[in-house]
Amino acid sequence: MSRLRSDRVLSFVLNAAALLCGALVLGIVLFLSIEAAPTIFSGKISAFFTDEKWQPGSERDPQFGIFSMLLASVLITLLAAILAVPVGICGAIFRVFYAPESLAKWQDRFLELLAGIPSVIFGFWGLSVIVPFINRYHPPGQSLLAAGIVLALMILPTIALTTKSALTAISPSLMAGAAALGLSRPAQILQVAIPTARKGIAAGCALGLGRAIGETMAVVMVCGNIAQIPHSVFDPVRPVTSTIALEMGYATAEHKSYLYAAGLVLVLMTALFLLVRIRKGASQW
Amino acid sequence: MAEESALIEVKNLSINYDDFAALRDVHLTIQKGNITALVGPSGCGKSSFLQSLNRLTDLIPGCQTTGEMILGGKNILSPGCDVLSLRRKVGMVFQKPNPFPQSIRRNFEIPLREHGFSKLETTDRMEDSLKRVGLWNEVSNRLSRSAANLSGGQQQRLCIARALALDPEVILFDEPCSALDPHASGVVEDLISSLRGSVTVVIVTHNLAQARRIADHLAVFWVRGGSGTIVETGATDALFTSATDPDAKSYLTGIRG
Amino acid sequence: MVRSKRNGDLYFGIICGLAALCGIGPLLWIVYDLVKLGAGRISPGFFTDAVRESGRAGGIAPVLHSTFLIVLCCLGAAIPPGLGVAFYLTENGENRFRKWLRASVDLLATIPSIVFGLFGMAFFCRFLGLGFSILSGGLTLACMILPVLIRTTVAAVEALPDHLRSSATALGLTKTTILLRVLLPGATPGIVIGITIGTARALSETAALIFTSGYATRTPDSLLDSGRSISVHIYDLAMNIPNGAQGASASALVLLIALLLINFLTNFFSELWLKNLHSSK
Ligand SMILES: Nc1ncnc2c1ncn2[C@@H]1O[C@H](COP(=O)(O)OP(=O)(O)O)[C@@H](O)[C@H]1O
Ligand SMILES: [Mg+2]
Repeated sequence: MSRLRSDRVLSFVLNAAALLCGALVLGIVLFLSIEAAPTIFSGKISAFFTDEKWQPGSERDPQFGIFSMLLASVLITLLAAILAVPVGICGAIFRVFYAPESLAKWQDRFLELLAGIPSVIFGFWGLSVIVPFINRYHPPGQSLLAAGIVLALMILPTIALTTKSALTAISPSLMAGAAALGLSRPAQILQVAIPTARKGIAAGCALGLGRAIGETMAVVMVCGNIAQIPHSVFDPVRPVTSTIALEMGYATAEHKSYLYAAGLVLVLMTALFLLVRIRKGASQW
Repeated sequence: MAEESALIEVKNLSINYDDFAALRDVHLTIQKGNITALVGPSGCGKSSFLQSLNRLTDLIPGCQTTGEMILGGKNILSPGCDVLSLRRKVGMVFQKPNPFPQSIRRNFEIPLREHGFSKLETTDRMEDSLKRVGLWNEVSNRLSRSAANLSGGQQQRLCIARALALDPEVILFDEPCSALDPHASGVVEDLISSLRGSVTVVIVTHNLAQARRIADHLAVFWVRGGSGTIVETGATDALFTSATDPDAKSYLTGIRG
Repeated sequence: MVRSKRNGDLYFGIICGLAALCGIGPLLWIVYDLVKLGAGRISPGFFTDAVRESGRAGGIAPVLHSTFLIVLCCLGAAIPPGLGVAFYLTENGENRFRKWLRASVDLLATIPSIVFGLFGMAFFCRFLGLGFSILSGGLTLACMILPVLIRTTVAAVEALPDHLRSSATALGLTKTTILLRVLLPGATPGIVIGITIGTARALSETAALIFTSGYATRTPDSLLDSGRSISVHIYDLAMNIPNGAQGASASALVLLIALLLINFLTNFFSELWLKNLHSSK
């Protein structure tokens, strides 16, 4: 009898934990929405897209145009993708098809360590190395480019490691078949291995880019934080995440609810990348 | 039986995996246009032998080949041999069908374009070889769909067609029917049989009845002193009725193996 | 044509090799820069002294203290529900709620940390009235590392050999006994890996903490005091304090070394776990 009771207690505890976890996700969305309510439900959300500028502090004419910041988030992520995706994939190709076993092991180690470096250290390093470097040729240095480079370094290990696992998962008999047809190694890789592993690679890129668009610390320190539409990669920009990080500390009332609404927008954008990964069948567990 | 003229001359071949001698002192003459079947129990080096014929052994770390394999006056095993054009001349079909998981058309385009054929030639050759393996009617209206959706037997015929498209002198088959159901297996067997005369075929099979049906020549592999070797070769019929090697004899008559 | 194909392979290999270097080089570069700039500041006193001149001088003792407390709160709050959810997922058959639960864990894993910061500020600091405090920060981080804990635990339990469960059931053990005495011990190395990964995440996190546990540089008296974690300290020094780079580098070095140790621990446990799995299978 008491043995059955213990089973009932257990199942109660497990159910409670599961409910708590499910509630957490809803709760996050709920609390963000409550805080953002003054903008969402008063219909002022349109200001996000109609206002030209972002000048929340101005007393006479506060403006909440988020467009330039959304654009900055997207551009930074795009730039990081342009830099990191080819490099990550090529690095993984080297790891799987060219590197001797001993070297390959070291490459994995290094990538894992690079993946473990906190974003705040990436940001700090970018600020003290990348920014001065760009500044020498194209002042001010804090720029779209700097943010793109730092983010690219951050997501590189993710892309390289997922591509590696996708490539090593290819059946050896497929590659033997390609070799038996007299394909050169580059042709075997580019025309057979990569297309075969494309789903896994795409999922890895979506994982990396989803993280990139939500990244705050690595970006806020190097992007320059000027809310404007950039004309070149050397212009300073201000993505959504930086705005929240920089202004949340002092924002009040209306301003604050706009920041919470911006947070909701971020959740939506990262959820999109999650959707891509689910579509690629990469989040089955 | 087709006319007899040696195409490949294997002399004193040995294959090592690191320290392990998988194959030792193999001598074999492969006749042009004939079907040569390699038989023998598992682990006696048949696949290793087959793979060394188009240097797929290069892909295996620690695998070393010594000896000579002369094809067209050149030694296949010499370091100077151009493996890419060798593999074009010596195609291979594996036990498990391994079409590229891309469209049927791409399965032909990838090798053919790589070997310098134009788009037009590629289309022609694809059609010809698909017809040759009897697959054309089944797939002509779905060439841009994935080859992975075909049945096992169709996939294997596609792989044979893909190898044929390059106009090889030799095609190596490593147990091509053992992953297929009996019907598909019969279709593929007939197909291989139909290649006699136009292509030289070397086939590994565990199915002695099949070897007897399709092979002109037989080479029996056996493990001797820890390493595989060929213990007897000869015309198929002669070997099945009067093998001299006791192991080969008992194997072929179904007593052992 | 033959020559060009050989060269093609060579060039392609070289290009890919260079790309691989791009993944390895920056790590060395970052560490080199941090050591060059910050190693001079590190001395025994650095770990025991109070923060002076906003971090330009003195040590990081209070920061370490706060960091320790925040991570402790985080693990304490995350481990029990994390294990609960994981065992809920492994012990129940597939149903709609389970599917939904998995999807929400996935979603939780993709939410940017700054959004966790927003949520923590609204919920823990204000709604629950915990204010800017170690506790708020720890709880916020707990929400953040929950998905890692859940996923590694599920993976650890699912990797256990099937016969373990079936033989335990055949012995007439209750579900509770099977879970606590058979599955939990078997999955422990895997769970420990999850915890070490979660700890590393918590140590590295900045964005979720700046609005929840705050910036205070003194030693916290209780969990309800504000206190800055080491990542926040690095951020503040680098961003807001002129001439803070040296202090930031030194702190970053300390953080990196701690993370390196955790990484070694993780690898150690992974190997241990794999060995166990092999011997039990
Ligand atoms: N990649 C390899 N590494 C090490 N040993 C191998 C490898 N491939 C085959 N062998 C060994 O070589 C011997 C011959 O194998 P194989 O050529 O596959 O024989 P068969 O095809 O006749 O069954 C076997 O003992 C096998 O264990
Ligand atoms: Mg074999």
